[in-house]
Amino acid sequence: MLLTTILCVPLLVGLLCLVVRPRVLLEALNIAGFAILLVLGAALVRSVDAQPRGAVTEWNEFLRADALSAWMVLLIAVVSLATALYAVRYFRCDEASGALTARRVRDFYVLTPTFATGMLLVVLANNLGVMWAAVEVTALSSVLLVALYNHKTSLEAAWKYVMLGSLGLVLALFGTICAYAAAIHPGGGETMPSFNWSYLLGIAPQLNPQLITLAFIFVLVGYGTKAGLAPMHTWLPDAHSEAPSPTSAMLSGVSLKIAVYALLRFHILTTACLGTGFSRHLLLGFGLFSMVLAGPFILTQKNLKRMLAYSSLEHIGLICVAVGMNSPLTVFGALLHMGYHALAKPVLFFAAGNIHQHYHTLDFRRIGGGVGRTLPVTAVVLCLAAVAVSGLPPFGLFVSEILIVTGGFTSQQAWVSVVLLAALIGVFCGMLIKLSGLVLGPARAEHPRERMPVGHVVAMGLPLLALLVFSLWVPESLRLLLEQATNIIRGIP
Amino acid sequence: MTAPASEAASRLIPLLATLMLVFQLLLVVQRMLITNIRLFALQSLALTAIAAVVAYAYGAWHVLVVAVLTLVGKVIFLPWLLTRLVRRIKIAQEVRPFVNMPASMLICGALTVLASVVARPFTSLERLGSNTLPVALTLLLTGFFLMLNRRKAITQVLALLTTENGVMLAAIALTTYGMPLVVEMAIFFDVVVGVMVLGLLVFRIRESFDSMDVSKLNELKW
Amino acid sequence: MNLNLLAIVAQTALLLLLAPLVSGVIKNWKAKLQNRRGAPVWQPYLDLAKFLRKDMVISEHASWVFSFAPYVVFLTALLVGLMMPLVTLQAPLDLFGGALALVGTLALGRFFLALGGLDPASAFGGMGSSREMTLSAIAEPAMILAIFTVAIAAGSTSLSEMVRVGQSSGWTFFDPAHALAFAALFIVLLAETGRLPVDNPATHLELTMIHEAMLLEYSGRYLALMEWGAAIKQLVLMALLANLFFPLGLAADGTPAALGLGLLWFCAKLLVLVGAVVLVETTNAKLRLFRVPDLLSAAFMLALLALVSTFLFK
Repeated sequence: MLLTTILCVPLLVGLLCLVVRPRVLLEALNIAGFAILLVLGAALVRSVDAQPRGAVTEWNEFLRADALSAWMVLLIAVVSLATALYAVRYFRCDEASGALTARRVRDFYVLTPTFATGMLLVVLANNLGVMWAAVEVTALSSVLLVALYNHKTSLEAAWKYVMLGSLGLVLALFGTICAYAAAIHPGGGETMPSFNWSYLLGIAPQLNPQLITLAFIFVLVGYGTKAGLAPMHTWLPDAHSEAPSPTSAMLSGVSLKIAVYALLRFHILTTACLGTGFSRHLLLGFGLFSMVLAGPFILTQKNLKRMLAYSSLEHIGLICVAVGMNSPLTVFGALLHMGYHALAKPVLFFAAGNIHQHYHTLDFRRIGGGVGRTLPVTAVVLCLAAVAVSGLPPFGLFVSEILIVTGGFTSQQAWVSVVLLAALIGVFCGMLIKLSGLVLGPARAEHPRERMPVGHVVAMGLPLLALLVFSLWVPESLRLLLEQATNIIRGIP
Repeated sequence: MTAPASEAASRLIPLLATLMLVFQLLLVVQRMLITNIRLFALQSLALTAIAAVVAYAYGAWHVLVVAVLTLVGKVIFLPWLLTRLVRRIKIAQEVRPFVNMPASMLICGALTVLASVVARPFTSLERLGSNTLPVALTLLLTGFFLMLNRRKAITQVLALLTTENGVMLAAIALTTYGMPLVVEMAIFFDVVVGVMVLGLLVFRIRESFDSMDVSKLNELKW
Repeated sequence: MNLNLLAIVAQTALLLLLAPLVSGVIKNWKAKLQNRRGAPVWQPYLDLAKFLRKDMVISEHASWVFSFAPYVVFLTALLVGLMMPLVTLQAPLDLFGGALALVGTLALGRFFLALGGLDPASAFGGMGSSREMTLSAIAEPAMILAIFTVAIAAGSTSLSEMVRVGQSSGWTFFDPAHALAFAALFIVLLAETGRLPVDNPATHLELTMIHEAMLLEYSGRYLALMEWGAAIKQLVLMALLANLFFPLGLAADGTPAALGLGLLWFCAKLLVLVGAVVLVETTNAKLRLFRVPDLLSAAFMLALLALVSTFLFK
């Protein structure tokens, strides 16, 4: 019942938060719920490791967790917990300054567990149709989260997000239906074949190749919109910058990767059916395009959180490129990258949130500089996290990026690695310029030094610490899990 | 192989599919919001009829569930919800679209031809054997065009829903016996909750911007 | 060329006698729907007799075109009527080109009608002519496409052939192409006969009239010919709609019984169509002039869809 418990815990937390009144209880429920989720996630990893080739299934294969799913569950749990810890002080500050009403804060604490439940259902559902529905649930709950502040810009961002997202999901639905139709023809007879991904993978050679090709194209555009692949990414900077910082952390940290997960499931299916590199070449192309597009935009950004959103675009592109290259090193690197990015990106958004609450603006020019003097702890955290996200040692993103680039060179795709390096360097320079301008310099007179409560500092620093620890030491069970996941993605039995 | 459909069914289904297309065309040219919502309801009714005919002709009782869900959700509930929203917002008419009526009709015609050409290689995969896949693709494409062309938020929601109608038509065309029940229910609830969320957002946009004109939502750039 | 003198004479008589009656019925039913008593259904006959008796007053700026136009309008309408199968399956006249000849002849009539409106150099006439030409520029392609849709399904442009094929295939109306073509042609009917919501046949206001504007300068015998020609054109277009899409009850041979039955069926179909026209006229307000192209473009679109769906639903 492990999988069902994993799903029920955040759902229950969300439902309870609907009726609970005191804010302290809301915060405590969220933190407790996500902490339990983390423990369950670790247990899931252990149990999936114990079954070398198979997976944990429940309800007659309705829920299924293989290595890839378990990894995603872990990521969701970690990011949600970090967000819940940070959100405590963030929302107290917002409520005190009048930026949000108590009702809206309660909305956040109800919607976030719902968001998490949706994401968990995406990775645990075996049925492709239910997976689609779960992605839609995450989209809808995050839309309301993005519009939380109810400013004009928030509503605009939320509208763009929901329109483009829904459009993408309609396309993905069409692709999912095509994939199902592909299974009907060989199935024969009057019975309806199962919509389960594991079943479809099993009969992959017998699926109708035309329909599967059509399905993958639609799913790529559809789920690619949700994942923020260029050129369907136009909602991403708006939504991630207008949402409250805890939500931005979850959106950038995990929900984009959930969409990539859905894409990966179809990629595995398509490759198993067609046998050619069709799907991975498409993934490679879109990923490269995203990475190359992100660079110039980061250099010209004026808004801190928008810059961070473009950085997410770049990292998602990197993950897709790595999967597209399809060598063992690159895919392993992609999975590692997912994890490290999920630990580092939220910290950046947390720091940005602090800056926003202090300066009441995120515009570089209006902040001026001197964040290092005014908010010293925040500035330190920001710099460390920026170093991590840019892929500098000793943080783990360096390792994963090295793996990906090396994998490119060893698998005769050197040109991809070269383009990757160029894009990464470009982004690194951009972020360096912007953030140094922000952090260094004398403090402005109207912004005196601010002290952060210890709990808040811990909340921000914990993911960073975890990142550092796990950069240097990967537990054996995790390594095994990632190797299994790599094999699943590469379609190796 | 599937059981052969009766003569009437194979005549009725293309007619109903064409009817859906005509309603879509009328949606593109109509300006009154309440009329647009009713046109969408009629289009969903045609879809329900197609599902019912398929269920009866092929003995696929699973598809009857689709018919009932579409009837309850898209013919009755959602139009009622949207009409209520329009009355609360008190905006009755669409402003000038980006492309004027005759030109948008020509574009829709071109999209119809495009969809027929694109769907040509896949007609052999259709189970119904009556070429409803091009109609489904046309609904998809014209729904996109409608989303781009109109300025009022409600019309964009309607465009999204008609696109979804097209996808469900494609589902019936490609998979005659329908999809597993749990999937149908999941899709149904998602669409309904989605429209409710969208309605809430539209209401908040109206309150904040004093207009439903989405071309006013242009502050965030680059 | 299929000449059968008796058939030509009989059909001509039918056209001449039935056309004003159709106009009368439309006016009467419209009045009844508007809660008035309305003029009796044979009033147009009395009007025509009155016009034929009266003197003509012709503007001194008018040329031979003014005098020529009424005859052209009247004769083209009659010619087109002879090409349509009304009561019998085979039309009396079968000009080369069938449907094309129909559209071309109607265009010729309209051309001279417009010239006749321009010729006496009155402001209203010129205005009416320009409006008429604008609307027909969009209505005509729609009509052609719709008729061609049926022609493709039948494999010939001869109207009699189309009706014959339609009668033998059965369930024709359920074909989506036919349904769409019918809808397109219905809108074109409204435009060509100058009915609401395109044009108000009862008005003489500068803002609103199109067909009436072109007739404003005519009087006496010429006016009678113009009105009669317009009525015959209306009858022919209605017969086109009725017989092409509902080819029921048309007489296959020349026996009196079959002819009688054919006539009865024809009148019944006409009455239903008249009812539909009256309903549309009463429930709709006249469209503003630059909204009319929207309506006609919709008709064009429907016709285009009809054509596309013949290839789609093969």
